[in-house]
Amino acid sequence: MEMELVLLTQQIMNGLVNGMTYVLIATGLTLVFGVLHIINFAHGEFYMLGAFFTFFAAKLLGLDYISAGIVATLGVAVLGILANRFFFWPLRKEHEFTVLLSSLGLALLLTNGGELIFGADPKYVASPFADGIVPLGPVIVTQQRMLIFAVGALVLVLLYLFIQKTRMGKMMRATAQNPEGAALTGVDIRRVYTVTFMVACGLAALAGALVGPTAMIFPTVGTWAVLKGFIVVVLGGLGSIPGALIGGLILGVVEALAGGYISMGFAQAIGFSIIIVVLLWRPNGLFGAARRA
Amino acid sequence: MRLQSILAATTAAFIAAGTMAVQAQEEPVRIAAIAPLSGPGAFDGQLAVEGMEAMVAIVNENGGVLDGRMLELVTYDDKGSPEEGVSAAKRAIEQDDVDVIVGGWFSSVALTMKEVTRDRILTIMTTSQHPDTTREGHDWLFRLNATSTMMSGAYSQFICDRMDLESIAFITINDDYGRLEVENYEKLLSECGIEVLGNEYYNKDDADFTTALTKLRAANPDAIYVSAINTAQGATIYRQIRQVGYRGTTIASAGNMNPKLVELSGPALEGVYSVSLFAPDSQDPELLAWVAKYEEMFDNEPSFIGSIGAQSIEVLAEAIDAAGTVRDYGELAETIRGNEWDTLLGNVTFDDIGQAEQNIYLIQIQDGKIASVN
Repeated sequence: MEMELVLLTQQIMNGLVNGMTYVLIATGLTLVFGVLHIINFAHGEFYMLGAFFTFFAAKLLGLDYISAGIVATLGVAVLGILANRFFFWPLRKEHEFTVLLSSLGLALLLTNGGELIFGADPKYVASPFADGIVPLGPVIVTQQRMLIFAVGALVLVLLYLFIQKTRMGKMMRATAQNPEGAALTGVDIRRVYTVTFMVACGLAALAGALVGPTAMIFPTVGTWAVLKGFIVVVLGGLGSIPGALIGGLILGVVEALAGGYISMGFAQAIGFSIIIVVLLWRPNGLFGAARRA
Repeated sequence: MRLQSILAATTAAFIAAGTMAVQAQEEPVRIAAIAPLSGPGAFDGQLAVEGMEAMVAIVNENGGVLDGRMLELVTYDDKGSPEEGVSAAKRAIEQDDVDVIVGGWFSSVALTMKEVTRDRILTIMTTSQHPDTTREGHDWLFRLNATSTMMSGAYSQFICDRMDLESIAFITINDDYGRLEVENYEKLLSECGIEVLGNEYYNKDDADFTTALTKLRAANPDAIYVSAINTAQGATIYRQIRQVGYRGTTIASAGNMNPKLVELSGPALEGVYSVSLFAPDSQDPELLAWVAKYEEMFDNEPSFIGSIGAQSIEVLAEAIDAAGTVRDYGELAETIRGNEWDTLLGNVTFDDIGQAEQNIYLIQIQDGKIASVN
């Protein structure tokens, strides 16, 4: 009985940490949709770039893991600005589907470009925290996984404060409600676009930098990331940041329990079943508001 | 003066046209290389194709096949998935009209792809280990790797005799190959008194294995047997076994070891056993020539999967010369079955259903290197 309880706690811990990475990925996805009404299929590629930039920053610049992760996050945030400047901003007047398909094109471009530049061989982002184990009583967590959870939580609090308290955050919320109205009152829409993409891509990259030392990275990991991101966003409600938080943690824990008590072979199927059930039962997600026409 | 230069130009043009006509007669023998070039198996596919290319270069430098026809590889991406393998094989046959197909790196792909190539084209399956690849194959199909049944026979004997285990658990890829692996080893290891405490399946695009490994660790087996067919997932599993706090013995599945996997897994693979057709310290001159060529052409370290790719080219080139034909598949298949082939991995023969018979070696990771053990 005691043993059973330890195992249950361990699996919930595993799930919460995995869930936190889903949250970081999904938050950027949901932010871009919530503020700019863009569904960005290339979002997972920024996660991939975050992991690879961390690897190369450590290897080529000789940085330690933490500095490399910060450099990578900032680097990908800058790429987010460029992606907006040369890609999403010029397309902003096009139909939603055009933008969606273009983002799919950007995803393919980044994946294949990544394969060309980084090589197809899997890489391992070395971290001094990767194998260090923190025993919490009988439950075991590696330092790296503690770091993922702690950094994830901290970043989300900062993001919340940024959106609620700062002038830029208010401008983003205004744009989300009504872009034309916001523009009329003097909100600089172009800057809102830039900042939103910068933050979203930076979050994805941070997730990549954090997860890099727990699993091998290769140029197509972005496909996995964007898929998880979408499941979370559908679950939590498109455009809702609290939704991404709760949705991500739920998905992580449900997957861990399904893997732990049924079979990991089913964990993926469970993610997709969640999508179907949510779409049938609450089409706007757990936290989504019905969209006004 | 002007007339002369026109004449000269015309002559040159005629000569050029003439040589082109001669070259056109000597069309290359086109070999479709269908391999996973994207997704988690992309690196393994890359190693495979590189191995083939190095051997193609060696054959071509020695004058090609059939009195001067060069070999040419046409690569296709099967993404490690059965559907993509089928469509790649169809494209190779119907659109590109290739001469032979080399593919089947993963069993799930080989098992579906063989139905497309049945009675249409000579096919060499490579690292696929599922017995049905040849057992339900066709007259023009051959497979180089030992089947998982052949491997598990030899490997389980070793595990039973030398590893002193009382219990074991498995983590296995959820495909045709993985399911058969578990079935084989559960039977063979139970027979020698090792208790099987559990098995966890994972999917080919999973990136986190902590939940499954946590469950296995809780069962507290003496050893965890890891059946991972691609390098990316393999290295992640080996590392995460340690990260969930498991301190027992790790056993690597047969035929899935390569230098990159050892490098990426770090200390987690030290001392771990596996079996392979590729003895890393072999001094076979053909192997040495291939290793030299490979290192000249590519940055990666030569690996088992690459050597199997090279072997497919070697057998094909020798057999095409011996049969005197490429497109008479009946004749070519008969020739492959009827002879012993001297290859970089040693001598190989094929039985009636096209299954190769070759040496199997026991290997161990020692000081970060793959070494053979006696």
